[in-house]
Formats: sequence, C-alpha cells, structure tokens
Amino acid sequence: MNKGSEFRQGLSIAFRLGTELTVAVMIGAVMGYALDRYFDSKPWFLAAGVILGGAAGSLNVYRVSKEITTQNDKD
Amino acid sequence: MENPLHHFEIHPIIHLSLLGVDISISKAVIAMWIGLSIVFGLFMLVVKSGVSLIPGKLQIVAEMSLVFIKDMVEEFIGKKEAPKYFPFIATIFFFILACNLIGMIPGSYTITSQLVVTGVFATGIFILTLFIGFAKHGLRFFGILVPPGVPKIMIPIMIPIEIISMIARPISLSVRLFANMTAGHTILYVLFGLAMSTPLMIGWLPFGFTVAINGLEIAIAFIQAYIFTILTCVYIGDVIHLH
Repeated sequence: MNKGSEFRQGLSIAFRLGTELTVAVMIGAVMGYALDRYFDSKPWFLAAGVILGGAAGSLNVYRVSKEITTQNDKD
Repeated sequence: MENPLHHFEIHPIIHLSLLGVDISISKAVIAMWIGLSIVFGLFMLVVKSGVSLIPGKLQIVAEMSLVFIKDMVEEFIGKKEAPKYFPFIATIFFFILACNLIGMIPGSYTITSQLVVTGVFATGIFILTLFIGFAKHGLRFFGILVPPGVPKIMIPIMIPIEIISMIARPISLSVRLFANMTAGHTILYVLFGLAMSTPLMIGWLPFGFTVAINGLEIAIAFIQAYIFTILTCVYIGDVIHLH
C-alpha cells in the first residue's frame, strides 16, 4: 500500500466513524420516540431506543475497527 | 452582513409545473445539469478523440480514475460480481465529484449541500441493497439481522440493534456528505464576510484563511466523493456476501 492511499483511507475512516456513532443514537432515539407516541408509553421506548442506538453505533464502529486491524495484520 | 446560510436557499429562475408538480428550473437544477454534462463531455471527449494504445493526457486521467474505482469495487464486492456494479458506482463517484467541485466556483451552487439530493442518493442505494439482498438470498436475507456466533439469549436484543444500524446506514451516508459540504461553504462565507467587513489592516487575516480553506474544501470535495462511493461498495458487498 502506498503512502497516498494510506492517507486517504485514514481520512475516510475519520470522517466515517464520527457520523456513524451519532446517527445510530439519533435513529434509536427517534424510533423509540415514535413507538412511544404510538403506544402512549412515555418514556420507556425512548430510553430503550437511545441505549440500543448507542449499542448499534458502537457495534458499527467496532466492526470498522476490526476490519482495519485485520487489514493491518495482513500487510 | 447577510445570513451565512442565505446562499443555500433555492429560488426558481423559470417557473414550471407539470401535472401540479413543481419542476421549476433553479440554480440547483442548472448546477446539476452542468455537473452531468461535464462528466459526460469529459468521457465523450476521451472516447471521441480516439482511445489509443499510447494514451494521451486526457486518456491517462480517465483511465487512472476508472482503474482506481475498479480496484475499489473489486476489493469490496469481489472480482466475480464487480463488473455488474462498476458502472453504477463509477457514475455515482464522478457525478458527486463534479457536483462538489462545481460548488467551489464562486457564485455557483453546491448541489450536494442539499439534504434532499444526498438523501435521494442514499435512499436509492439503500433500496438497491435491499433489492440485491432479497434477489440473491431470498428469505435467508433476514439472516443479516443476526450476526454469526451470537448466543441465542442475545438474539432478541441483537435484532433491534441490527435494525437500527441498518437504518442508520443511508442516513449517515446522506448526512455526512450534506453536512461536510454545507459546513465548508458556511465557513468560507463567514470568513469572507469578515474579510470584507473589516479594514484591510486586519482583513488580510480572514482573507488568508479563506484562501487556505478553499484549498481544504477542494480536498474535501474529493474525499467526500470517495467516502460516498467506498461506503456504497461496502454496503453492496455486505448484502452480497451476507457476513
């Protein structure tokens, strides 16, 4: 792998992970809020949604980082 | 000073409507057409001027960029399936790149700074991945919601988590491109506004920053197009290989 593509990959990962985490939490919260509106059960689904969204975001970041480490091991 | 978000507003130039649907021509539509015609014109120019064994300057640029995308597609989708998706992904890359770069011309419009545009791209890609997944794997595609090696007790928790991370994909894809372009152009506008509203003695400082950030924005235009396409490849590859 040459220097330029390493730089590009690093930047793309940096740009990627930030939004990945935030958006997952937001989706979880919005889905929880919608379920609360539907079932009239404030605030339980919202609370669960935020936690699950955080878990989903962390899981995404974890998967990306696992990819990077296996790639580095291969090189 | 004007509102720094003022130049993101779209005002119709020619009012048109078809069957009650507003299809007015605005700056954004024209910018999109220009982007489309630049990509099309560039590649037509390469082909029309004759593809030769000893490539000319334009042909080298076109070939190198296409090989770059081909390598990317092959890496994430696999050599066997790559030719099917390569034209689609190359089109996305060049179109977004052209739109991003057109936005760097003062007075023009950055079409990718509209969440509607990036949202349509991302939603289209998301629906495409679902379509590919169901066409390839049938009902087994639901297995994507349960990662391998998960204990049975965890499955009720894993399914909502996986659904959230599935839905987060198109949203993060669209928000990333939109937010980066909007933020960059807003910063440029604010800095340039500072440079214009202060005396020259201090004004050169924000003006210098404007120049520097302009360079950064051009780099970001390339990087964001690259990230958008690479993630499209990753998402398509994910549904093809299914873990």
